[in-house]
Amino acid sequence: MAGRGKLIAVIGDEDTVTGFLLGGIGELNKNRHPNFLVVEKDTTINEIEDTFRSLGSLLGSVVEAEPNEHDPPLWAEIDSRQFLHRDDIGIILINQYIAEMVRHALDAHQHSIPAVLEIPSKEHPYDAAKDSILRRARGMFTAEDLR
Amino acid sequence: MAAPDLRAELDSLLLQLLGDLEELEGKRAVLNARVEEGWLSLAKARYAMGAKSVGPLQYASHMEPQVCLHTSEAQEGLQKFKVVRAGVHTPEEVGPGEAALRRRKGPAKTPEPQSSEAPQDPLNWFGILVPHSLRQAQASFRDGLQLAADIASLQNRIDWGRNQIRGLQEKLKQLEPGAA
Repeated sequence: MAGRGKLIAVIGDEDTVTGFLLGGIGELNKNRHPNFLVVEKDTTINEIEDTFRSLGSLLGSVVEAEPNEHDPPLWAEIDSRQFLHRDDIGIILINQYIAEMVRHALDAHQHSIPAVLEIPSKEHPYDAAKDSILRRARGMFTAEDLR
Repeated sequence: MAAPDLRAELDSLLLQLLGDLEELEGKRAVLNARVEEGWLSLAKARYAMGAKSVGPLQYASHMEPQVCLHTSEAQEGLQKFKVVRAGVHTPEEVGPGEAALRRRKGPAKTPEPQSSEAPQDPLNWFGILVPHSLRQAQASFRDGLQLAADIASLQNRIDWGRNQIRGLQEKLKQLEPGAA
C-alpha cells in the first residue's frame, strides 16, 4: 500500500461518476468493492449514508455496532462498501445535493483523511453556504473573539 | 509563551487562514468550471454515440485505478495530498546540450518493466474509436482531480489552522482572563 497510494472515491449522479471514472480513479475487482456509488432516483438515503459512513472513520469496530434491521441480508455487503471505514481512500468526492441528504454524517466526520469534497451537480450548482468545511470556518469568529 | 508572542502567532495564523480561504475559493471556482466542461463534453459524446452509450452500462467489470493519491504529513496533523498518475514515464531528453551525435543503438533492448502492469485507459470501455468530445471530457475530469487534491489539502490546512487558532485563543484566555 505504501507504494500504491490511496484512492479517490466518488458518490454522485451518473454523469459525475462516469466523468471521474474516465479520469481514472475507479477500482473494481473480484476481491474489492467499488470506490464509487452512482446515486439514482431509487437509491435510498440509508444506502448513501452507509456507503459514505465507513469511508472516513478510523474506528473499524463502529460498523459492526449498527446492524441494518430493515435489510439484514444486505448488511454484510453494505458494510464492506462503506467508504469511511476503508483506510485506502484519501478523498471522497460527493455531489453537494447528495451531501445535503447525509449532512449529519458529513458534519460528524472530523478526521483529515479521507477528505470530503463537495462538488456541484448538473441540476444543483455549488453553494458555499452549505459546505461543511466553510461553515465550520465561518463559525470560528464571534464578536467576542474579535475584541 | 508570553501573551504578546501568542498574539503575534495568532495574527499570523489568522492571516494564513484568510489567505487559504481565498485560495480555496479560487480553486473551487476552477474545479466547478472543469467539472461543468466535463459534463458538456459527456453530453456531446452521448449525442454522437447514442443516449445509452456513455454511462454505467459501459463500466468495466474489472477496474484498476490510473490515478492514486500520495499523502504526506507536513506538520503534526496536517495532511497534504498529491495526485500521482500510474504509468507516467518521463520522456528521454535529447537536447541541444549534447556535444556529440547521439548514437542510435537500434531497437530498445529492455522494455519498460511497468508496461505490462499499466492500467487500462477507461476510454476503451466506450469502444475503439471514441469521439473527440469523450477525450475532452476525460481531460476535463483529469484536471478536476488535480484540483480536487489541492482543494483537499487546503481544506485540511484550514481545519488545522482553525484548531491551532482555537488552541491559542484558549491559552490567551488563561493568560489574560481579564482581557477576555
